[in-house]
Amino acid sequence: MAASTRTFREPSVLPGFGLTFGFTTFFLSVMVLLPLAALVLVAASMHWLDFWHVVASPRALGSYRLSFGASLLAASVNAVFGFIIAWTLTRYDFPGRKMVDALIDMPFALPTAVSGIALTTVFARNGWIGRYLEPLGVHVTYTWIGVTLALTLISMPFTVRAVQPALAEVQRDLEDAAETLGAGRFTVFRRIILPTVLPALLTGFTLSFARAVGEYGSVIFIAGNLPLKTEITPLLIVIHLEEFDYRGAAALGVVMLAISFVMLLAINLLQAWGRGRLLRRRS
Amino acid sequence: MSITLDQVTKHYGGAPVVNDVSLDIGDGEFFVLLGPSGSGKSTLLRAIAGLTGIDHGRISLHGRDVTHVSARKRGVGLVFQNYALFRHMTVAENIEFALRVRRMRARRRRERRAELLRLVALEGMDERMPGQLSGGQQQRVAVARALAHKPEVLLLDEPFGALDAKIREELRRTIRQVQRELGITTVLVTHDQEEAFAMADRIGIMNLGRLLEVGAPHDLYTRPQTRFVATFLGAANLLLARRTADGIQAGAATLPTAERAAGEREHEVVAVVRPEEIELAPQRAQLTSGYLTQGMVDEVTFTGSLERLRVLPQSDSGGTLLADADGEARAMLHVTRSQYEQLGFAVQPGQTVAIGVRRLHVLPTPLSSFTACAADEAGAEALGRQPFLAELAARMKTRIALRVEPLWDSGAPARGADHGFVGITVLAAQPDGARHARWLLDRGATDVLLLPHEARAPQRVLIHWTQPSARAATLAAAASLLRHVAAEAVYLGIQPRRDDGAQPQGMRALLDARAEAQAAHGLDMRTELRVGDAAQELLRRLAEAPGQMLILGIGAAADCDGSLQPLLTGARWPVLLVRR
Repeated sequence: MAASTRTFREPSVLPGFGLTFGFTTFFLSVMVLLPLAALVLVAASMHWLDFWHVVASPRALGSYRLSFGASLLAASVNAVFGFIIAWTLTRYDFPGRKMVDALIDMPFALPTAVSGIALTTVFARNGWIGRYLEPLGVHVTYTWIGVTLALTLISMPFTVRAVQPALAEVQRDLEDAAETLGAGRFTVFRRIILPTVLPALLTGFTLSFARAVGEYGSVIFIAGNLPLKTEITPLLIVIHLEEFDYRGAAALGVVMLAISFVMLLAINLLQAWGRGRLLRRRS
Repeated sequence: MSITLDQVTKHYGGAPVVNDVSLDIGDGEFFVLLGPSGSGKSTLLRAIAGLTGIDHGRISLHGRDVTHVSARKRGVGLVFQNYALFRHMTVAENIEFALRVRRMRARRRRERRAELLRLVALEGMDERMPGQLSGGQQQRVAVARALAHKPEVLLLDEPFGALDAKIREELRRTIRQVQRELGITTVLVTHDQEEAFAMADRIGIMNLGRLLEVGAPHDLYTRPQTRFVATFLGAANLLLARRTADGIQAGAATLPTAERAAGEREHEVVAVVRPEEIELAPQRAQLTSGYLTQGMVDEVTFTGSLERLRVLPQSDSGGTLLADADGEARAMLHVTRSQYEQLGFAVQPGQTVAIGVRRLHVLPTPLSSFTACAADEAGAEALGRQPFLAELAARMKTRIALRVEPLWDSGAPARGADHGFVGITVLAAQPDGARHARWLLDRGATDVLLLPHEARAPQRVLIHWTQPSARAATLAAAASLLRHVAAEAVYLGIQPRRDDGAQPQGMRALLDARAEAQAAHGLDMRTELRVGDAAQELLRRLAEAPGQMLILGIGAAADCDGSLQPLLTGARWPVLLVRR
């Protein structure tokens, strides 16, 4: 037997690529792409004038502004305060640290409607905090402030959890080295710590933002839902649904999808650019 | 002096990690801090850098007191084991970091950077990222970065720990070269004695937070002052020997020693014999050096240039030869032989050989071995198993012998002769420690340790002597003990109450004692001055907190009766009596 017909397949280091890739494709198609395609198809069955009429109405425009504006604001607030919380939890050891750490995830576990009701109770004009803000002319409930507040609360865990591991990885030696080289605390933070955790912070920002844009349950209780003023896009979609206007709802959905996609893509590109800059300098 | 440390102490959670360290490092000196992990050497280095605050003492750099100056203003350069390079910056940015922080002009920065890269032989690597460099290259960058701001002192914290042997040697040479070229005072921390030997002008050896010995590498190797240094710097055999009028008597050999103190009475000592100072021969007559004893070869390992052997000595001359043999345990002599010796006399495992000693060095420690003494065998055994005693003996690498003295309750007459009490005799403090101690002292014992039941290692050791004649011996015993216990030493000077006011003499005695402890034994101790009755003041101080121990120097056996008795009777603290 000079020439054997049997062929040996090179065993891969990590076998099972075919199976897992097939599953990934299938799963993503069924769970993500198919529903999205259905959404676009329903919207596409409209006449373009009707479509334009729905998505460019003053009420819709107002809701986009509130939804995306408040979400960006909430994600920014979380980037700052979430960072501080993560810093406290990774850097210091204090009694009850584990408790506080567990508390971070509470907004995940709570039904969002409950969060909304709780926030409204506290910040309403006669609420625990609201009654002190009232004389100062600060109205939280039924204004954009309340919407931002709700979105901040429900998206906060994303930032904290994204930043925590990155912060834990910043070696104390790096800070010590910088200090012996003459750097003050602010310089150490700006030149050493921040650059190291920036990618994680951006990821946290993106996740927070994405979560806030899709939020519905907690906002409707605190927003008051005044058309043009405190009406978020997801609510507008629900209103369309309640009127059995499935196409209108789908049209708004498509617009949200498009805006979200563009914004997330922009942030991802920004991150890739940052990494690329580092890589280019390496070569 | 470039770096001056004065009684630097640092505690973590009550236990001292750096314990009363005083040290002067000269200009341009390459000083190596050597010690096992957990000895406090890295903490001390961080304290010099200003990254760790100290609880007590002073640190000066070039005559400037920097004890309360922050790390960024101390003007030191620090190199870490894991390089600690800023990974998001290029090599150039890393090196220029200190200059940028100081707002130096870009052109001057570039010049300095080029100069530094040339110094560490990394020209042209400016734009690389740290991740693209090998470990050795990264550590070179770290050295260059630490030197950028022209620090007065360069500190290296185990800088070669993460590198493989060949690169390590290369980097060692680079660092030594850079250090000579710049003439910068350098402190290197390591646990590797070979590295210390290769680089140091002087070595300081730390253990349990204490700086045990400081000296040139050769001096420390040939004439160590402590057991720890003897065994940590290379291999060493510790022998129990006797100092006699003729010299040092170990086994059958009596070796003359240059270090003999004239007029001293015969007593037990600990001698260090390096493995290469031992000679093996088929018969006693063929030895060219002093015959120690016969032995059986247990193991032979060939390591290239040297042959390493383990030989089980016979204790034919009575008494245990090796300090760490406690009767049944088979303590081995470590022997190394050159190829030349191997050719002259080849040995096999199992062979009986004659063992000779070419040179031995006597440690100045007065604490040679322990003898647990009780009225019956069970009592002596139980005493020998006491956790504090067992731990102490293990750390001192010495034996605990057992001795039964059924006669001490019968009131046998005191003869004042030497009944063969050697080393430290250990007694149970309860129920009758004081009386038994007196009995032993009457019969020639000089060092008696009274142990309360289940005694633990102390955190503080109080030192006091009632007679000036006992001063030197008490200080020596205290210094020796404190090298093996992580405790702080406090000398209690007690003056009798007098009516004429000031006590200038008491203060002088206090300072004298401190100076003597420091100069003669390298022991840093704190001092406290009290006025009143000695026994009462000691009792009050001992009762203040648990975890204390007393080392008490007395002039005669009769001293421990009378007012000192309450210190010994039913004591809750260990007491070491030193009679001279």
